[in-house]
Amino acid sequence: MIRISRPRKKPMIPMSSMSDIGFLLLIFIMLISLINQRHEVPIEYSEATRLEKTQESDNLEIWVETNGRLSVDGQIVDDAKLESIIAAALSEKPATRVHVIADRKTPYRHVNRVVRVLQALQHRTVSFVVKEAL
Amino acid sequence: MIKLKERRKPDDPGDSGSLNDLSFLLIVFFIVIAGFNVNKGFLMDLPDASRPRIVQTADLLKCAISDSGEISLNGEITTMEALTESVLEKKRNNANMTFALTVSPGAEWQRVVDVIHEIRRLEVSNFSFKMGGEQS
Repeated sequence: MIRISRPRKKPMIPMSSMSDIGFLLLIFIMLISLINQRHEVPIEYSEATRLEKTQESDNLEIWVETNGRLSVDGQIVDDAKLESIIAAALSEKPATRVHVIADRKTPYRHVNRVVRVLQALQHRTVSFVVKEAL
Repeated sequence: MIKLKERRKPDDPGDSGSLNDLSFLLIVFFIVIAGFNVNKGFLMDLPDASRPRIVQTADLLKCAISDSGEISLNGEITTMEALTESVLEKKRNNANMTFALTVSPGAEWQRVVDVIHEIRRLEVSNFSFKMGGEQS
């Protein structure tokens, strides 16, 4: 009996599927970043050297500008509106972390307005956002 | 002349290698960009306005920031370095030291952050702050 040995093919991992996975991941991350979109107000951050990470899974950012304008999620608010927004956010998700992001040149009375609203709502833990000094 | 037909090579599945690199580079880029939005700063417990704490005078260190940003300690104008020294000394003598900061309405937020940062660095556990002219 004649035995014909067939040439063995080298085993190969198909790499074409990797790009599909890569692009699926890419779309996923892009969508997630769209969901986490942040309405950034152009301010000059105050700086400090020793900071801690204050970000939580649920966050509410209150922006305080130099002229005392308060905004939440790109919406300009007064003290009463701010109180209702914070109250709604906390009643929906009690673990929401409230961040106060104030311009470094903001007079303290404007930051104090936010503090007073939070005190009125009996909300104790607050994150004062500061940029890391280089 | 005999025409020999060239056998076509099957498409090499490994040809899209550069596409993989590109997509993974983009993923890394987006992950890095997402990391930029992380808030950092000071996590603070706000004082309870309705229930003021009673502190012994001996344990109290009163600090104030004026509209112009001047720091004063127990009524005397001081520097940040002198403030650090005073806090450390007070902490040595009074384990229950309370640092009470009064901020003038016009004081810049950066100045307040500077003092809070220093107090945090010195690990002062009892710290309260209020705006000047308010009831404590």
